[in-house]
Order: sequence, then structure tokens, then C-alpha cells
Amino acid sequence: MDTPSFLTAQVLVSIAVLVIFVHVILGIVTYSIYLERKISAYIQDRIGPNRVGFDFGLPFLKFLRGCFGLGQPLADGIKFFLKEDYTPDKVDKALFTLAPMTIVVPALIGFAVIPWGGVWHINQFTIPILNWTIAGGDVVIAGANVNVGIIYMLAVASLGVYGVTLGGWASNNKYSFLGGLRSTAQMLAYEIPLGLSLLCVLLVTGTVVPDGIIRYQVEHGWLLFAMPVAATIFFISILAEANRAPFDNAEAEQELVGGYHTEYSSMRFALFFLAEYAHMTTSCAFFALLFLGGYHLPASWIAGPGHVFSPENVTLLGVLAKCGVYLTKVVLLICFMMVIRWTLPRMRFDQVMMMAWQAVIPIALATVVLTSVLVYLDLTDLLPMLAANILLAGFIVGIYPLLPKYNPNRKIPLYGSRFNPVPGERVSTRPTDPMALEDRPIEGTAKPA
Amino acid sequence: MAIRDEDILKIDPPPMNRLEGVYLPEVIKGFGTTMRHFFTSFGQGRTSRTIQYPEQRREHFKPEDGGIEPSNFRGVHRLNRDEAGRVKCVACMMCPTICPAKCIHIEAAESPWDDREKYPRKFEIDELRCIFCGMCEEACPVDAIELTTEYDVVGLSRAEMVFDKEKLLNVYDVTINKKPM
Repeated sequence: MDTPSFLTAQVLVSIAVLVIFVHVILGIVTYSIYLERKISAYIQDRIGPNRVGFDFGLPFLKFLRGCFGLGQPLADGIKFFLKEDYTPDKVDKALFTLAPMTIVVPALIGFAVIPWGGVWHINQFTIPILNWTIAGGDVVIAGANVNVGIIYMLAVASLGVYGVTLGGWASNNKYSFLGGLRSTAQMLAYEIPLGLSLLCVLLVTGTVVPDGIIRYQVEHGWLLFAMPVAATIFFISILAEANRAPFDNAEAEQELVGGYHTEYSSMRFALFFLAEYAHMTTSCAFFALLFLGGYHLPASWIAGPGHVFSPENVTLLGVLAKCGVYLTKVVLLICFMMVIRWTLPRMRFDQVMMMAWQAVIPIALATVVLTSVLVYLDLTDLLPMLAANILLAGFIVGIYPLLPKYNPNRKIPLYGSRFNPVPGERVSTRPTDPMALEDRPIEGTAKPA
Repeated sequence: MAIRDEDILKIDPPPMNRLEGVYLPEVIKGFGTTMRHFFTSFGQGRTSRTIQYPEQRREHFKPEDGGIEPSNFRGVHRLNRDEAGRVKCVACMMCPTICPAKCIHIEAAESPWDDREKYPRKFEIDELRCIFCGMCEEACPVDAIELTTEYDVVGLSRAEMVFDKEKLLNVYDVTINKKPM
């Protein structure tokens, strides 16, 4: 039997990577919920989950009891499956069902273009039984080795807003609606600095192929050190895109009950939850790819050239080591996001928008201009870039007091209220309730005894 | 009551200086605070305030470490017995009178013993209504009702949580070693 022409080594490896990494990502997602609970507990001087192990109440599994609460995600999952999946009466049934899917799918397919382990050299081999001979060669350890990798990531990231908006709209609930509305405005606002800071990276590296960006950083040093301003803006933007604190206005419990997922229960709620963490993981993977050198670990001065972490090492061991490095970076970034969540208070919605349009976007534009000038002058090495970025940061701090002041806490009296009356309206602060007058008479209104 | 204009207190936040205005240095200071708490309380460290409840109990700690002081802790009630093992209560109705939650129900009857006129035929305390204020203990003229140090009282139904005379005397038998009269 002839080998089908579409079946190359790259296709087979891509399928394997997809199958493996979907499970790896879902594992990271479930355990990042556990991790978040643990981190928040320690930050708040508590202990966090520490009872649920894997003994399932069986005496012969007694040695698995406890396990630092590692069985907690499993118990949570079982709980979600067993709860009642309730659909309220007046919701838009189709959209209500569609929304959790629309939010999970973009969060999960974003991983497809990430080159987890660099390049693997594969020899010619034959599939048994079918007798198909697969030509060997260099394959990229990625779900899809496409040339538009980073553009694809931008496109997929902006799809995530649909699930939130649909969920908020379909629930037929004012809190859900407000949550969905807020998150739409916020995601649109932060898409711009996200794209602009990404543009800085693309200008310097001159490629949109994910593996090419990592290779550039292997040669010239990680871009976090070359462009810290762009990295900071990118990180702030992915926090806002993933609806993470301090930008989690879409689910501000104090104001909006549960935000866009107020009406959801059971596994559909769990999908929203899962999507948030999957979104975080995707975002962190892309931050690691763009600014932290992806799978690269600068170990050549210890281990010599061609060590397992260098891109030249194309053996299976090297690929696995590089996957490990990449995943470690992602998990550390997720931990950092969690520390941010338990450190910073939530920003008010107008502050979030003000920060996007008046601070982050102008700075991102300035960074793009600066990077373009440096690229034009061919000064893209680590030191000139770093110096220019430090100058830019100093400039921002320097001109801050010269900018026109905006009072974020100004009061805007409602038109027609007693603070901003309609022209000709007589305003009285006298309470309408007679009981109130009895209780504490306003001066001059008390009846003479 | 309506809020009058002169009642409104207008507070402006203190102005931010240059470094505070760009937020990030203050954010990094905040990370310092959280990470200090993270590392000092890691694995039940120095600042961890958790008591691992079923294994550790509040009785095992000093009051300043989150424990309880047995002499004035107000837990579940008990009915004391006198030297002859009889119920000490004289059914004077002081405790149901003072009880702010109205959770004590006493039915008095003529006493079968010579040393008092009345005794409680029924004595019921609804532990779910009780607010554990300790007023009954204060009001009792013969020190018959007392609050013990037991705080983990559970039941499967509301009816089960209404403690009758036998149960309250039973609490006395169980807790007399822990908290002598």
C-alpha cells in the first residue's frame, strides 16, 4: 500500500503533540485551581486544602490519605458533575448553551502554535501493519507548525470575549449583562496595548514564526531584558484579557453577584471556570514565548554547547527537557499571576478603562515608536535597547506631574436629583417620611411643643 | 432619614507622589508584603493561624494562641446534680425569665424531696435557639444550670437539638471531670 501524501512526519508528530498537550494543559488547569487555593491560603496565613487525598475511603489505600490535599481537584470535578444543571426559565436557550462552549474552545485552541520543545530530528520509519514509510527529517514539536503563528494567537485571543458576552446576554439577568458588557469593553481596550507590545517584539525579531522568535532570543538574549517596558505592558494586557485580578470586573462579586456566569451551574459553570484558567495558561505560554525565550535555558556556559536545553540539540531527550523548561516557565508565570490576584485590590471599572486609554496605550505607542527608531538605527542589541527602555521609563515618571490632572473620585451629580436639579425645580432636603421627622426634626421644622 | 447636605463628609484621597502615580513601584511593595506572609506561614509556619480541628482542639491552646479559657467559656449547657445525685434545680423560673432567646422551657412540679418545694418535671433547652449568652448561669440562685466548655454539638434533626432533662444531666456526668462545679 502506498503512503498517503499528506502523511508526513510533521503531521504525525503534530497529532501526538496535540493529543498529549491537551491533557497536559487540562492537568495544569485543574491543578492551578488547587495551586491558587494553596497560594491564597498561605498569603492569608491559612493552610488551604490539605485533607482530600486519593484513599477514597478504602482501608488498603490508607497510605494515600492526605497527600497535601492533592485529591481536591478530583473532588471538585465530581461535585460539579453531580450538581443540578439548571437552566432558568427566561433565558435564550440556544445562546445559553452555546456560551460555555464558545469560551472554552478559543482558550484551548490557542496552544496549537506554541513550539513546546523546539525541533526534533526524526529518522525514516515504517508504520507496521499498514507498511507506510514515513520520510525522516526535522519536525517542530507544535500542534500546528504554521508561519502565521503569532497572528493566529492574536486572532484566537480576541475570540475569547464572545463567550463572556454571549453568557452575559443569554442569561437574561442584569448582573450577567453588566458583567458581559464590562468585560467586552475591557477586552477591546486591552487588545490594543497587547497588539502594540507584540508589535515591538515582531519589529525586533522580524518574524511571526514562534520558533523563529525563540531562536532570535537564543542568539540575542531574552527580550524581557531588552524591552522591559513592552514586557510589562504585555503582561498587564494579558491579565486584563484573561479577566484576572486586578481587572476581573466582569465577575466583581461585590457589585455583580457572579458576573456573566451568575445563572450558570454545574458543569457549565465549571467550563467558564476552566476557560479562565486555560486562558491564563495560554497567555502565560505566549508571554514565555515572546519575552522569556520559550524553551530556552541559558545553560551553555555550564553545560557547554549542544546541551539538552539548546535548540541545536534535536534528540528526543533534548525535546523532552525543553518541554519541561517551557512548562516550568508557564507554571511559574501562573503562580506570579496568582500572587498578583491576592496582592492587588480590584480596580474600579472607570479606573480600568482610564488606565487603558490614558496610560497603557500611550506608553505602548511610545514603545513602538522607540523600538522602530532603534530597529531603523540597527541598535537592537541588549544594552542599547535596555538603556532606551530605562530612558523611556524615566521620561514617563518625569512627565507624569506635568500632565493634566484627572480626579478619579469626582462626583457627577445625577441630573434631576437634588444635587443637580432641573432648572426651575424647587429642591427640598426635607425627608418625605413623617416618621423620620419625628425621629430627628430638621432645624426649624419641628412643631412647637 | 434623609441625608442632609451638612451631614455629608467629603474626603479627598491624599495626593499621590510621582512614583506612586505610576503604580508599579507600589505594586512591587505589595508583592513584598504578600510574599512575606507566604513564606512565614508556609507549611503552618510562624504566622499561620490555623488549628487543625479534629486532631487539635481549642482546649489544647492558651487563650492568646486562639485557645479557650475553660473557666469562662460558654459552650453547651448542663444541669448540675447535688451530692445525692438528684437534679439541683429548684424550678424557680429565673432562667427562662432572663433568657433573651426564650429557649428554656421548664415545667415545675411538687418536689418529692424534703429539702425544696419544687423541682423541674421537664427541663428543655433548645440549643439551636440559644445564643450562649450565659444569662441563665448568672441568674440561677442554686448554681444548677451551667455552661460547659463543649462546643462541638451536632444533631441530625432540629428535634434532636432540643435537650431534655436527662440529656442535660448526662452532659453533667460527662463534663464533671473537665469542669468541676
